[in-house]
Amino acid sequence: MGSTISSLIVATEQGDKPAAEALFAALYSELHRLAKRELARQGLPASLSATTLLHEAYLDMAARDGPSFPDRARFMGYAARVMRGLVIDHARERHAQKRGGLFEITSLDTEAMESAADHRELIQISEALDELAKVDPALAEVVDLKFFCGFSFAEIAAMRDVSERTVQRNWERARIYLHGKIRAPLSL
Amino acid sequence: MLLYHFEESMPTLRLDQWQALSPYLDQALSLNHDDRSAWLSELAERDPALAAQVSALLDEHRILAQEGFLETGPPLPLKAPGLAGQTLGPYTLISQIGQGGMGSVWLAERSDGRFERRAAVKFVSFALAGRTTEERFKREGSILGRLTHPHIAELFDAGISPDRQPYLILEYVDGTTIDQYCDEHKLDLEARLRLFLDVLAAVAHAHANLIVHRDIKPSNVLVTTGGAVKLLDFGIAKLLEGEGQTGAATWLTHEGGSAFTPQYASPEQLSGQPITTATDVYALGVLLYLLLSGRHPAGSGPHSPAELVKAVLYSEPPQASDAITADNGKLIAERRGTTPDKLRRELRGDLDTIVGKALKKNPQERYGSVTEFADDLRRYLRREPISARPDTFAYRTAKFVRRNRTVVALTATAIVLVIGSLSTGLLVANRERNVAERRFAQVRQLANKFIEIDNDIRGLPGSTKVRMQMVSDSLQYLTLLGSDVHGDKDLALEVAYAYVRVAHAQGDPTSPNLGQFAEAEASLDKAETFVDSVLKDNPRHRRGLFIAATIAHDRMTLADEQNRKQEMVSRANEASQRVERFMNLGNVDPKDVYSMGYFEMNIAYAYDDARHFEDSLRASQRALEITQPVESAQRVHGSILGAIVVARWQSGDLDGALQTAQQAIQLEETQAASGHASLRVNLANALYTEGMILGKQDAEPSLGRSRDALAALQRGLSIGEELAKMDSIDYLSRRSVATIGLEIGNILRHNEPQKALVVYDHALARIREAKTNVSTQLSAADLLAGSSYALRRVGREKEARRRIDEAFQFLRDAHQYPADTIEPMGRSDHVMRASADDYAETGQTAKAITAYQELLDKLMASKPDVQNDLRDATCISRTWTALARLLRRVGRTDEAGRFEAQRTELWNHWNGKLPNAQFLLRQSLSQVSPRAAFHSAAMH
Repeated sequence: MGSTISSLIVATEQGDKPAAEALFAALYSELHRLAKRELARQGLPASLSATTLLHEAYLDMAARDGPSFPDRARFMGYAARVMRGLVIDHARERHAQKRGGLFEITSLDTEAMESAADHRELIQISEALDELAKVDPALAEVVDLKFFCGFSFAEIAAMRDVSERTVQRNWERARIYLHGKIRAPLSL
Repeated sequence: MLLYHFEESMPTLRLDQWQALSPYLDQALSLNHDDRSAWLSELAERDPALAAQVSALLDEHRILAQEGFLETGPPLPLKAPGLAGQTLGPYTLISQIGQGGMGSVWLAERSDGRFERRAAVKFVSFALAGRTTEERFKREGSILGRLTHPHIAELFDAGISPDRQPYLILEYVDGTTIDQYCDEHKLDLEARLRLFLDVLAAVAHAHANLIVHRDIKPSNVLVTTGGAVKLLDFGIAKLLEGEGQTGAATWLTHEGGSAFTPQYASPEQLSGQPITTATDVYALGVLLYLLLSGRHPAGSGPHSPAELVKAVLYSEPPQASDAITADNGKLIAERRGTTPDKLRRELRGDLDTIVGKALKKNPQERYGSVTEFADDLRRYLRREPISARPDTFAYRTAKFVRRNRTVVALTATAIVLVIGSLSTGLLVANRERNVAERRFAQVRQLANKFIEIDNDIRGLPGSTKVRMQMVSDSLQYLTLLGSDVHGDKDLALEVAYAYVRVAHAQGDPTSPNLGQFAEAEASLDKAETFVDSVLKDNPRHRRGLFIAATIAHDRMTLADEQNRKQEMVSRANEASQRVERFMNLGNVDPKDVYSMGYFEMNIAYAYDDARHFEDSLRASQRALEITQPVESAQRVHGSILGAIVVARWQSGDLDGALQTAQQAIQLEETQAASGHASLRVNLANALYTEGMILGKQDAEPSLGRSRDALAALQRGLSIGEELAKMDSIDYLSRRSVATIGLEIGNILRHNEPQKALVVYDHALARIREAKTNVSTQLSAADLLAGSSYALRRVGREKEARRRIDEAFQFLRDAHQYPADTIEPMGRSDHVMRASADDYAETGQTAKAITAYQELLDKLMASKPDVQNDLRDATCISRTWTALARLLRRVGRTDEAGRFEAQRTELWNHWNGKLPNAQFLLRQSLSQVSPRAAFHSAAMH
């Protein structure tokens, strides 16, 4: 295996774009593989939480790469971004662009579907986040961690070493930005 | 009367704007409510523009918080169905390897270690379970199983599992799709063609065994690491077709992955015509096009299903060589080991021709067999002349003529799209929760897809037929699905809702032909039974109550459309009750608040139609109450005010009506300022209403303030114009221009006929621009009729009569004339009146009398309520007046006198009801002489 994850992280932080892509790809397949492994284990509950997966991934990769592996906090930022990609791909597959479908959710959804973003919106969110990350990376990261991975405010605050209130404010700001970019009230 | 709404969108924030505002936002969010207001005011003093922007963002925050935006996370790819370890015959399931539209695909191993160790098990969604017996399934399966060829993935077995789940056991192929394979290995054209010939060999073999694939596409054509081609899923579609099922049913069980996307479908598949080996030839043509040019014949980029269908049916694909453009050419050529120019040159000529022949829309023009196709390719590779002839220029031009044919072809497509995309995992055994989830998500998709397609094809010629077909096939599907509900509440409600959507399409008021009212009622009845089954056990079930209210509302609308006024009123009462029941649940979601407000508003309009003005005002009031607390629901206020205006106006409270109209204008002005430009149409319409009330002269009950009326109308017209200019085919703005233009013309036509003509003609021109919208087109009839008055004033009498005739034609085409009854102040009324007046003013008194008599009879046949409805009273009164005048002209004074007496009696009655009303005074004045009344009105 070529570069280790830790060296890719270091390179990415130094602005190496190809390294960033390689990192993304590596994390993606790692998470994928891990998810499959976790789910294939007999006797496990039917679903797995993203945070558990990410923690497992961290432990797994840190064990392999050795002591130079960056700390959990740094890792989580990247992993969360990758998770976003996984989630969207999954949503895409499920709702199948290949079906040629452009679905619309009307005002008559039940509670279950109602607040869950549909795949198209997820993609829009992702694109908007990429844009936002250019000027306000902390905000984009909060969304990755909270929305796509399900970390709590407290966990995120711990990871980023800021107050929980700050995380909450960032979350709200990010929501405002995204909402403005994406949502238009639906017509009947 | 149903109102249709626009989409609003917030003006989008630029990134640099955001950057500037973000820190302020951060500050604002860190303050509590009171401190925040103080902070904002302070900021407003320093920099008002900034404060306004921050404020807007904070408003947005309030809305999104209410909506719960992003509160619930997206579905994660971390759930496992519980099938691992199960056995199916000699195979044991290991893990899921894919999710197709048809169902899930699992890797399986042969437990007894014999023969091929690994297999792929496909679970098949079988929405029409029960149609095909297990025996038939197995029998067909064994026929397919006999298809052995090195390039065809073998079907080992087909069966139905113990819990009634149909499955197929196929040879497991580990490979990539052919297009990916070719790109990854950077195969040049020749190599690709040779690989493709293997594909052709496989298909030819199947055809020789009388099996058509029906679904050839890249995901079904794999290439192993060893470079061997393997075709998957031969004839599966046929296998899954039940006995006596229609074309629709076939697609229900069609292969997923791309769960039947129109992209790979042939024109005959999309138009429900027989499927033959030529269908496979077409699909192979698409595949070849893709392999050669890197593109799909219909073009790149996301398409909506309807767009794709149109492309497949009507658009000639560009030649493969032309598909290599400047932007993508480099990448595509690279993947073929060459340069864009060389690639283009290689494709041009014979290869273009070969691919083109396979892609002919008409099956008979394609290669007669796959073998012929292969032969031509081999000739090309040997540099020998091919048999296919290139298209002539005339041939290509002739294609364009076909484009406007009726869209009946979209029928099967619509079915396909509506239903085919739902085939994912619709398992018969309804035990697992995720299955249930999928199923009702699919029914919801059915409902939504329906609307989307409906919107896409509305306005296309012949689309009515298509929509009807779409409806009948959806019903077929729903019947079966409905029988499978088995007490599953959520599914029951989803089915109910789907029926509601279907009913909507059936009873559509904007369709030029009469809607299928009886059928729509039947669908609503079905919906109701499903809802009742849920509410019976759980009378406070939120969604159930919501759908119940929707059903009542829709029934009311149907009754309204069929002019069954009594029924409409009782339905309105019922709908009102159900709205209350829903609202009483409390904690109503903002989107539902909007819906309820909308329903209540329509209830108000219904009461208006039935002249129950007090009930109408009550309903309007309720609508306002309901929507008041939810900001996003307030956009319906403009229309609610409209209902109030109508109620007040028609019951004679003109001042009240004017007041409300002016309120509406204010409201629309605010909303138009902060929202999308297209909302301004509402403002234009509100100004029109104000203008009408201020008023015309003796035609409508009005305040007689013509000058003010003109001002309001002019303003409305210019807004409509502005919008029409912005969007070259938008029909709403054009309809406004037409309606308002008509009024302005009508006001001006007596004194300033030349000006009036300009206005009329301009409005007519605008209407012609909105060709596809039928109801807008009908406005032309009004304009033509109205302009006849002006034309006579300027001496163009012949033209006046010609226009009136044209107007009648419009009415005839829309089946609105001849009719037994005529609505007062309706379109037919205007046109007939114009015709009668034309006879009167050109000295053809006898004809005029007959015409007015006919008009009067038909008006009376509609049972106008002259005692209680001021508009009706005014209309009938005018007619009596006109008749009386004409009768006097020919000396039939007794008859004339009778009409005049009736008129006097009527206005005395009204004077008693509404003493001191200005306009009533004018009515009485006009008894003296029509001219006098006219002059006094004009002086206001």
